[in-house]
Amino acid sequence: MTVGSQKPPAVLIDQASKWYGQVIGINDVSLAIDGGVTGILGPNGAGKSTLFKLMMGRIRPNQGSVRLFGVDPWASTSPYRRVGYVSESEKLYEWMTALDFVTTLARLHGMTREEAADRSAHVLDFVGLSDVMHKELGKYSKGMRQRVKIAHALVHDPDLIILDEPLHGCDPIARTSIMSVIRELGKRDKTVLVSSHILEEIERITEQIVILHNGRLLAIGNLHAIRDLLDKHPHRILINCEDPRGLAGLFVSQDPVFGVRFPSDGQLEIHTNNLSAAHSILPSIIVDSKQSITSIENPDDNLESLLGYLIKEAS
Amino acid sequence: MDKQGRGLSETVWTRLDRKAGAIVELTVRQLRHRLSTWVVLGVGVLLMALLLAFYIDAVRETFEPIDNDGDSVDEDGDGYPRGQEDKYGTSDDFWDGSSEYPGSSVFVLEDDIDWNDDGRYVFANKSWDGTAFFEPTWIDDEYTGDWWDSHIDWRLDENGDPLLTDCSDWDLEMIYNRIEFGNACDYGDDDGDGLTSYYVSGKWRGEGSVTVPVDFYLQWGYWTEEVYVEPHPKEMYINEDDIDCFDSNGDRVDCPAADRLSGTHGFDDDGDCLSELIQDIDENQNGVACDVVWRSSNGVVTGITADENVDEDPDEQDYIGELGHRMFVIAVGKMAFVILLGLFIPLFLALGLVRDETENGTLHLLLSKPINRAEFIVYRLMGYLAVSGSYVIALSLLVGVVASVLGPGDQLIRLSDLPVWLGIGIATTLVLAAYGSLFNTMGLISPKYGVYICIVFGIWEFTMGSFSIVNPGWSVASISISHWALQMIDAIVLMAWPDTIQWAAMDQAFDIQSGLSYFWQPPVHTMGTQSPGISLLISTVVLLLVTVTCVFVGKSVFNRREIM
Repeated sequence: MTVGSQKPPAVLIDQASKWYGQVIGINDVSLAIDGGVTGILGPNGAGKSTLFKLMMGRIRPNQGSVRLFGVDPWASTSPYRRVGYVSESEKLYEWMTALDFVTTLARLHGMTREEAADRSAHVLDFVGLSDVMHKELGKYSKGMRQRVKIAHALVHDPDLIILDEPLHGCDPIARTSIMSVIRELGKRDKTVLVSSHILEEIERITEQIVILHNGRLLAIGNLHAIRDLLDKHPHRILINCEDPRGLAGLFVSQDPVFGVRFPSDGQLEIHTNNLSAAHSILPSIIVDSKQSITSIENPDDNLESLLGYLIKEAS
Repeated sequence: MDKQGRGLSETVWTRLDRKAGAIVELTVRQLRHRLSTWVVLGVGVLLMALLLAFYIDAVRETFEPIDNDGDSVDEDGDGYPRGQEDKYGTSDDFWDGSSEYPGSSVFVLEDDIDWNDDGRYVFANKSWDGTAFFEPTWIDDEYTGDWWDSHIDWRLDENGDPLLTDCSDWDLEMIYNRIEFGNACDYGDDDGDGLTSYYVSGKWRGEGSVTVPVDFYLQWGYWTEEVYVEPHPKEMYINEDDIDCFDSNGDRVDCPAADRLSGTHGFDDDGDCLSELIQDIDENQNGVACDVVWRSSNGVVTGITADENVDEDPDEQDYIGELGHRMFVIAVGKMAFVILLGLFIPLFLALGLVRDETENGTLHLLLSKPINRAEFIVYRLMGYLAVSGSYVIALSLLVGVVASVLGPGDQLIRLSDLPVWLGIGIATTLVLAAYGSLFNTMGLISPKYGVYICIVFGIWEFTMGSFSIVNPGWSVASISISHWALQMIDAIVLMAWPDTIQWAAMDQAFDIQSGLSYFWQPPVHTMGTQSPGISLLISTVVLLLVTVTCVFVGKSVFNRREIM
C-alpha cells in the first residue's frame, strides 16, 4: 500500500460514510489502496458492497469522499476506463453467448467490433472459458457465470479490478480456477480488490486484507500479522476419533495445550494458546496414538472468531 | 494525436460512435428477444392488413350513386319522378299532386270577376269556379275537370232539366247563407225570358249568361287536352347535374380547374335552376344566373357557392374515388399510425428502456463502463427508435404501395401518394420519439407507478388527438403531442397534394359525402402564412423539443438516482 506518491492511488477513500435511512452502510472509513491483491473481509452486512458501490459511482457518500485515480466516480465516468468491476449481481443477458456478451460490453470502452471480439476471446481464454464461449449464458453454471463476469471486467485491461464476492456459490473447481486467475492478476501489477466473508478463501488469494465490521474499518494490513495475533488467542481443535480419552492423555502433557474436553461420544476438544504450535505437534501425536482419526476441525479458525477477537482487542 | 495519427476530436467522436453503436445494437437485440415487442408490432401489422382489406372491399364495390337533390323520387305515385314533374310544372307532393302529372289536363285560367269589379255579367261556354247566378243554355252534368271537390251535381231529369232545391221565393240573404260551396238551387225564371236561372256556388261547366253578385268572386277558363308523356326512368334524375369546371379559356376541364380557381364555373345541366320553380336564380349574387362561384386567395380555394339547383347532383363516382382514397390515406395516417401505433408502441417498448435494466439487475454491467447516464438514455432511445421508427416507416410504405396500386387513377401506381405515406411514417417516428422519451422518463421518475401515469397520459393524448382531427384550431388540443404530429400530416398532405383544399371544398359544396373534411383540414400553425412548409417545420420543432426536454428531465432524474 503506497499512499502519497506522485500519482494518485487507485483507490482513495477519505472518512467516507454512507447510510440508508436509519441503516448504516459505511461509517467513517478511510482507505488508500494501490497495487497488489487486497482482500476485503467482513461478514454479510459489514459494508463491503456499499464500499464497492461508492467506488463505482452507484451511490454517493453522505460524508467524506471517494476517489478512483484521483477522480470522483459519482461525478465522472472517466475512471471506469481503468476499472473492471464484477458485481455481486448474478444477472446477465441470458440469450447472449459469452463471446457476444463480453464483446458487446467491450465495445462500450470504445473498441471497434473486431478489437472487442479479439480482446473478448483472449480474456475468455484467460478465465478458462474458451471452449464454451459460443454457448448461451443461460446454459452456464454458477462458476462459469462468475468467470464470464470476470472476463467482462478484464476485457479492457484495467488497472483496478474490483470483485464483489467472486467465489460466492461456486463449486470447488471453479473456486480454485477463479482464485488462480485473481492471483495471476496480482502478479501482473494490477490493483485488485476482492471481497469475501470467508477467511479461508481470502487467505488462499492474498495476504493483504481489510476487515470491515458493522460499516467500520476494523483492521487493515497483512493477514499473517493478524493471524499471529489470532494464534495467541485461545483456540479449539476438534478431533473425531475412536478413543478420545486415550488421545487426550497424549495431548495434555504437551506445552501448547492447556486443557481438553469431551463434548460428545468419539470427540476430543483440545484447548490451546498457540494454534500453529499445536498444529505442528498434532501429526506426530496422532501417529503415536495409532488411532484412526475421522476429522480434525478448527472451529475457531474463521472470520467470526477473528472478528470477535479483534473487537475484544479494540475495546 | 494518438498512435494511429488521429486527431483528438476524431478519436473522441469515433469512441462515442462505437459506444452508441454498441448500446443501440444491444437495445435492438434485447427488444428482438422480447415477446411483447413481437406482439405489439404484429398487432400493428394486423391492424393495417385489416384496414387495407376494408379499403380493397370499398374499391371493388361500385359506389352507390347518391341522388343529392332528391328529384328521382315519385312521392305522389303517379309514375313520374319528381325531376320530370318539375320540368312539366306539375306537383309531386303526396297530398294533392297525384292528379297532376306531365301531360295531364291543365286548367287554363282566362278571366275572372273580382268582388269589387264593375262589370259583373258575362255570357260564355266555360269551366267556371266561384259563385254566380247562372242562366244556362247548356250544362255539362258530367263535368269534373281535374278538380276533386266542390263539383255541382245538377241531377238532370229525363228532359235535361236540373232537379234542384227551389229557392225562387227565398230572399238573397237566405240563399247566400243556406247554399254552401259545391251546391246550387233553382232560382226560377227571374227575368221572365223563359230560361231558368240557378244560383251556383262551386265548380261547373256550361254555356249561358252569368251574373256574379256584388262581393262574390268567379273565375273561368278551359281544360287543356290530356296528352301522354312517357315517364322518365328514375335513374335519369340521379347524378344528372354534374360539377362543371372551366379553364381560363372557357374550355370544360376536370374539377378543380388548375388555372381558374376563382370566378364563375358550373352549368345547370338539367335546367332546373332556370325553370320557374326557383325564385332567386342568382343566389350567390355574382351577377351570373345559375352558376357556381369559386373563391380563392393565394392560389388556394377558400370557398365554393352554387346558385340553387346548379351542379347539385354530381356523379359521385368521378369524385368519391379520389376523395375517398385521400380520406383513407389521411384517416389511416392519423388514427392508425399517429394515434394508435404512436401511443401503444412506446407504451410497450419505451417505458422500460432504462427502468427494466434496473429491475433486471443488468444495469450494473453497463454502468461499470465509461459511459455516462445521459449518454445511456440517449443511446437506449436511439435503439428503441431504430426498431420502432424503421418499423412504422416500412409499414407505412408497405400500406402506401398497396393502396397506391389499388387507388383511383390511370397510372399503375399513384406516385404522389408515396411522399404522403413517407411523411406519415416520419411523423409517427417523431411521435414515437416524443412519447418514447416521455414514457422512459416516467418510468425513471416512478418505476412503480410510471405505467399508470403513462396510461392516464395516453388517454389525454388520445382525446386531444381526436379533437385535433375534427377541430385542429382548438387551442387546448395543442397541449398534446399528438396534435403536432397530426398537424404534420395535414401539412404533408397539402404539400404532396396541393389541390386537397379544392377537393375538400368541392366535397362540402356539392355534398359528395366522402368524409374528407372530417379527417383533413388545412394546417393551423402557419404563423399567418398558410404555408404548409412552415407548419411542418413548426410541428417538427415542437416534437423534437418535447423529445429533448424529456430526455433532459430523464437524465437529471437518472443522474441523481442511487443504484443499489
